[in-house]
Amino acid sequence: MNAGPATPAADSPVTVSRRRILARTRLDFWLDALLLVAFTLAYSLGFTGIATHEWLGIGLGVVLLVHLTLHWDWVIRTTRKLLRRGGRERFVWLVNVLLLLSMTLCIASGILISEVALPELGITPAAGSFWRQMHDTTATLTLILVPIHATLDWRWIVGVARRFAAWRPGRSR
Amino acid sequence: MDRGRGPPFRRLASGAVTVKFLRQLAAVVLVVAVIVGIGMLWAHTSGGAGPRRAPSPEALQRLEQIKEQIKTGVIRVHSDNGFHLADTGNLIRTCEIETVLAVGVIAVSVVRRRRHRTRRTAARA
Repeated sequence: MNAGPATPAADSPVTVSRRRILARTRLDFWLDALLLVAFTLAYSLGFTGIATHEWLGIGLGVVLLVHLTLHWDWVIRTTRKLLRRGGRERFVWLVNVLLLLSMTLCIASGILISEVALPELGITPAAGSFWRQMHDTTATLTLILVPIHATLDWRWIVGVARRFAAWRPGRSR
Repeated sequence: MDRGRGPPFRRLASGAVTVKFLRQLAAVVLVVAVIVGIGMLWAHTSGGAGPRRAPSPEALQRLEQIKEQIKTGVIRVHSDNGFHLADTGNLIRTCEIETVLAVGVIAVSVVRRRRHRTRRTAARA
């Protein structure tokens, strides 16, 4: 909280929208970091154990929906301009679409083969070997795509991290 | 992703922001539902969605052997109540794979940028 005296410049529309953009940047940064950590933990089944793995996967699905919703404008914009855009933008779009497909199928198949989480809720899924195979394949594909997806915008990550490191409470940046 | 390179930021009322978020969330849920639906269809056409086959007598025998080994302590199982700190090797391996891929992408990006700069400088000269 900024307890200092309010100046006319501090309440100007430019400052307000700047603050909103910064709040959104902060939300994006921490949500992305949370997704990366959660996926890394969820993939390490030997470390987490089956129960934590399953609950993490379900939580990951919910956060993924929020992540996609927050970037939905980008999805629409890039898909519309796909034919006009250059090679890099197309590559980023392709990686993102593949990641969406693999992660969605990974989480869905994980729910369908759940051994602890769903039975705890009183639901007994009866999925066969197809979904087990699907879960293994999509999890491996997701493991390859997640770091690529995260580091395609590494300059943005470094920039935001630097700003956070230099941030002092009460100072508008 | 959306890193502020899009259209200029517009000031929207908080109600409008909520409506926009909900509309986009509905679109995302629809897309996810379509993907899961395609997966279900795929499972159905490949015969994977049907009931499980009964296990073979050999598999049942092996299962009994494993149960016996767990009882006698030959095979140790985790209680599954949380993180198994003894298995950090598993987590480290995941981190290693992610780091190698991330470093690869960053290296390619740096090399591409350098080449682009060199070309631009050469074109100016």
